[in-house]
Amino acid sequence: MEQVSQRIPLIDAAEKLTGRLRFAADMTLPGLLHGAFLFSPRAHARIVEVDPAGALAVSGVIGVWWHANTPQNSYNSSIWFAGQKALADERMFPPVVRHMGDRVAVVLAETEAIARAAVTRIVVSFEDLPAILTPEPTVAHAVAAAGVEEAIYPDPVEQVHFTHGDPDAAFARADHVTEAVVYTPRSHHCAIEPHVCVAWPEPGGRVAIHSPCQSVYAVQAVVAQALGIAADRLHVTKAPIGGSFGGKAEPILEPICALLAERTGRPVRIAFNRHETFTATRTRAASRGKMRIALACDGRILGRETDVTVDIGAYCTGGNYLPGSMLQRLVRLYAVPAERYRGRAVYTNTLPTGAFRGYGSPQIHALGEIVLDLASREMGLDPVAVRARNIVTPGALEPWQGLSLGNARGADCLHRGAEAFDWTRRRSAASGRGRFRTGVGMAAATHINGCFPGEDEATTATLRLTPEGRIELTCALHDLGCGSDTTLAQIAAEVLGLRAADIRITPADTDTCPYDLGTRASRMTYIAGEAVRLAATALAAAIVDTGGQALNAARSEIRLRGGQIEAPHRAITFADLAAWLSVRGTDTPSATHTHRATANPGSYAAHFAEVEVDTLTGHIRVRDYLAAHDIGRAINPMLVEGQIYGGIQIGMGYALYEDAAVDPKTGRMRADSFTRYTLVNAPEMPPIRILLVEEGEATGPFGAKAVGEIATIPVAPAVVNAVNHALETRLTELPLLPERVLDALGQGSSS
Amino acid sequence: MKLTLRINGSVVEQDADPLARLSEFLRQVLGLTGLKEGCCEGECGACTILMDGAPVHACLTLIFQAHEREITTVEGLGDAGVLTDLQAQFAGAGAVQCGYCTPGIIMSAEGLLRSTLTPSDEEIRHALAGNICRCTGFETIVRAVAAEAARRCEAGC
Repeated sequence: MEQVSQRIPLIDAAEKLTGRLRFAADMTLPGLLHGAFLFSPRAHARIVEVDPAGALAVSGVIGVWWHANTPQNSYNSSIWFAGQKALADERMFPPVVRHMGDRVAVVLAETEAIARAAVTRIVVSFEDLPAILTPEPTVAHAVAAAGVEEAIYPDPVEQVHFTHGDPDAAFARADHVTEAVVYTPRSHHCAIEPHVCVAWPEPGGRVAIHSPCQSVYAVQAVVAQALGIAADRLHVTKAPIGGSFGGKAEPILEPICALLAERTGRPVRIAFNRHETFTATRTRAASRGKMRIALACDGRILGRETDVTVDIGAYCTGGNYLPGSMLQRLVRLYAVPAERYRGRAVYTNTLPTGAFRGYGSPQIHALGEIVLDLASREMGLDPVAVRARNIVTPGALEPWQGLSLGNARGADCLHRGAEAFDWTRRRSAASGRGRFRTGVGMAAATHINGCFPGEDEATTATLRLTPEGRIELTCALHDLGCGSDTTLAQIAAEVLGLRAADIRITPADTDTCPYDLGTRASRMTYIAGEAVRLAATALAAAIVDTGGQALNAARSEIRLRGGQIEAPHRAITFADLAAWLSVRGTDTPSATHTHRATANPGSYAAHFAEVEVDTLTGHIRVRDYLAAHDIGRAINPMLVEGQIYGGIQIGMGYALYEDAAVDPKTGRMRADSFTRYTLVNAPEMPPIRILLVEEGEATGPFGAKAVGEIATIPVAPAVVNAVNHALETRLTELPLLPERVLDALGQGSSS
Repeated sequence: MKLTLRINGSVVEQDADPLARLSEFLRQVLGLTGLKEGCCEGECGACTILMDGAPVHACLTLIFQAHEREITTVEGLGDAGVLTDLQAQFAGAGAVQCGYCTPGIIMSAEGLLRSTLTPSDEEIRHALAGNICRCTGFETIVRAVAAEAARRCEAGC
């Protein structure tokens, strides 16, 4: 193949490398106004009075808006389309603030500096209310919150119960039972581009919204709900995205930015600074999970019992989906004959949570893989062998939704990964008794490919031959930086005999693109890729038809190759064909295809890590890493590897450093800047080897499956398991901060 | 205050608040938006530029500190829209993803390569320690910088 399976650079690499790509924060518009927020300093309080006089007196201030002079429509910022059923508990400016960082007021001014200065001169009086800052799901939760606001405060927001087989019988006949509690931290996306939105009035009473988002249609639906206006009054376009990882999946600034543009008739930009991006957007939900595993002496899992609580923060957003999502991913990894699961999502008066690379998978697989590792150790069994004995096989059906897992190649990842890592030898090597101890650990994981069957999982793609002889792809696409545009261009180019660079992709625009769910749920390559492949196939047929006329050749004689339409002994370029059609007054061919998924296969991975622990300081260094991924087929191996390298970086941070914890006494987020939220930087990254298992998935484009989210999911448990191997500890609270490591060692020596 | 700045080979004479951030001035007054403001506290490195050939964080640099100094931003590295060899190495190695940190990382790498053409991998990693990239895991970036160092060495630069 000429394009698929090739290491082709990003089609937009030059714009990014030269700094010419204009992100939303780089745009200037005549008459642009700037907004700045006043955020709640209280965890839970009724706003008694807002006095904007001080701010309004500042020269250059246009106005101040808060709950008394803005629409009070309830909305849910996580909806994907108008009318989607969701608990609508957010307001642009709530009369009762529910967390530190909740929005109290916005100042609009001629410059950002004026707006930020004026914000400090707004006087607000609060009446404090009881705040719940820890996620213990008790009745007291609901009582404390009741009567505060007639609006909804159900707690837990969502509960999911699932039983499969006979768990009690499984535990009764088990040779070994392991039980442990695993905590995963609240963590932050840390996209380098802070949240930003630009909006301006358009003719006909419309408002244009230009923002880095994961779905222009989600933005349109949320803003329409918040403003209480028809969706078609909003024209949403996707700005280039300087990283998202789920952090920009929910519109946060967009409703207010659009409102202010509408109210003032002028363009408005609101740009969060780094502190605000930490404290007033979204994080990954912290979780507490208890798991019991019943095993036979040969390592077979006989049954499993899981009880997970996720703290979704002060607003529902999409947090109610987390318990179900975690269950979905849990049951797709191992063939477990008896399963009992309870998942709960609870409110707290803390920053709301949302999507972050894996949506529940990092939490549930950290729980499952750390506990299974402890079980293996207790039984004296090899962790790879235990996993290989239980992992699902190709074509297996999962027990919750009854879906086929497709060509599930987790076992290949385990075997090939273990061999390449030299697992058996390294695992048995002594970790040493000195200050520095080494250990190796591993973990497996699975993740989904798209939203089927939960949503109408469809993408519509249109491909058109332009008069210049290039191909234009119209589809509501949002490349978050992963290279999905390039991947889709490769797929189209492969079918059409072109180069990826010949495919021109128009950014997502609600006025010109058909509806799409957007970039989420690992659906771009698998779902949108198949839509593009099928649209390209239809366009190729149309080009063969017209090309046959131009060349006076039969359809069967025509080949599309090297940018040309070829017949025996003669050929024309795509540009020549377009010109030939134009002079005859004929439209250039185009093709539209809607691909509606009817499957959701699993992507699988096994990761292997070697760590060195300094027992004096508690500091952990990851020294070597290997990632084996069941990818179906890599459309672009270079971009696939890029996803895995970056996923390992984020996962290592999740395991070792990153903690956006909220102080349980004050409600304040401790990690509110890069100085107080430690990321993995270049010097901390280990050497990484990547193995791609390319056995094909029949329902994916050219056999491809997703990689973006699963790349980060096995990392944290692999690293934690390596540390537990090195130290013979049972560390289960992430991140493994030095003090936790030292505590565990202290306990180990005292007991 | 009247300041003289030498930016990307041009002399700019400008009345400016000497205590304003250089990054803000370059972006907002001169429209040099290749550099980004990702944190404004010297942590993310998205605003990295070269001052007299050495990488600095423009967000922690006040305008008066740039008076009479040679400033190079990503826009000044090559001809408009044409990749320099270093940038081409990044593209070929897959060392760019979302692109927001990329101009800053290019400037840090360029600064390193102007001080040494034989950096070890570890030296490259430490030279990039002032830049955060959340997408790539740095692996491909380190490779691209190493490849460019080797190319310049061979070319006898």
